[in-house]
Amino acid sequence: MNFPEQLKYHKEHTWLRIEGNTGTIGITEFAQSELGEIVYVDQPNIGNSYKQDEVFGTVEAVKTVSDLFMPVSGKVTAINSGLRQEPALVNSDPFGEGWMIQIELTDTSETAKLLDAAAYRAITQ
Amino acid sequence: MKIALFSDIHANLPALEAFFKDLDSRKPDAVYCLGDLVGYNVWANEVVNEIKKRGIPTIAGNYDFGIGRMSNECGCAYKTDHEKSNGNISISYTNEIMKPEERAYLRTLPAHIKVEYQLNEDKLNLLLVHGSPRKINEYLFEDREEKSLLRIMHDADADIMCFGHTHKPYHRTLQETAENKTRHRHAINIGSVGKPKDGNPQGGYVMLHINDNSSILDKDSIQVEFIRFDYDVEKAARAVEASPLPDEYADMLRKGY
Repeated sequence: MNFPEQLKYHKEHTWLRIEGNTGTIGITEFAQSELGEIVYVDQPNIGNSYKQDEVFGTVEAVKTVSDLFMPVSGKVTAINSGLRQEPALVNSDPFGEGWMIQIELTDTSETAKLLDAAAYRAITQ
Repeated sequence: MKIALFSDIHANLPALEAFFKDLDSRKPDAVYCLGDLVGYNVWANEVVNEIKKRGIPTIAGNYDFGIGRMSNECGCAYKTDHEKSNGNISISYTNEIMKPEERAYLRTLPAHIKVEYQLNEDKLNLLLVHGSPRKINEYLFEDREEKSLLRIMHDADADIMCFGHTHKPYHRTLQETAENKTRHRHAINIGSVGKPKDGNPQGGYVMLHINDNSSILDKDSIQVEFIRFDYDVEKAARAVEASPLPDEYADMLRKGY
């Protein structure tokens, strides 16, 4: 199970990669393994804004449906349209091609509330 | 038009026989089977042959798909290691007892059946699937968000979608408005003949009533009757206990979970 060091983690199993003022968000390898085969990702519209901890979409797996939580507040600037055709990319490459949305961060100080890789790994065990 | 829909027999011959008896007394105009003929009990070949004998149009369930291909994976979402280990016993036992001709039948079953009715100068699409149109083993429980169910049915062009797999029957009518027109879609889980999980050990199936006036514009023009019937649960449970299958499966039959 991978827990990339360079990412920040929300306790509800989303990850955040920060580059400048842009954040990329997806779900963790642990989350996808718990969900099983993913068949649809309900993504938000570009331009929508969400607060930290708010639900920005849902992921539909064969077994169940799960909400997606914003790790930090921000405005959606891009969505991974590849997931429309191939939602199982979230299973095969959760930290790479299976990314879900990109946002413009509204308050970078909120990242202080997120978990680092070691702390996130601890809550999955 | 009375359309009988049944599924999830799971090798329970006493339940299937009682179902046929009940069905024959109601004289349906059409009968469809939505899959999962085998697994969890001892009469896998007998159940296949009873359904073949009647020439009932049948689709593959996830268990049929796995056993048809001699796989050790049935596509079942077991929650715990214990459930998984019991599940492994069932799939390897079923693979052991399945005869070649019956296995070949399972392997060639189609994934979906679509029936297009021509009523009121319009069409009415009935789609029959095991789990969902996109996955044979997707669980569509009653609490599925309306938006999600509507999207699944819209993408599959289904006005009435019937499915099984969860063994818990329900009917949800979903309203949709487009171009100032309100229309309705029906999502129907038909329950299980041989392994109900809704707390009622009786077998269950659905009779769908469609008539001249049935339309997507009138939600009450399509009626769904949930039928339960008694069968010899003890016989089915004792067969489990006398087999290499886990005894827990017998308790599940007795209590309907």
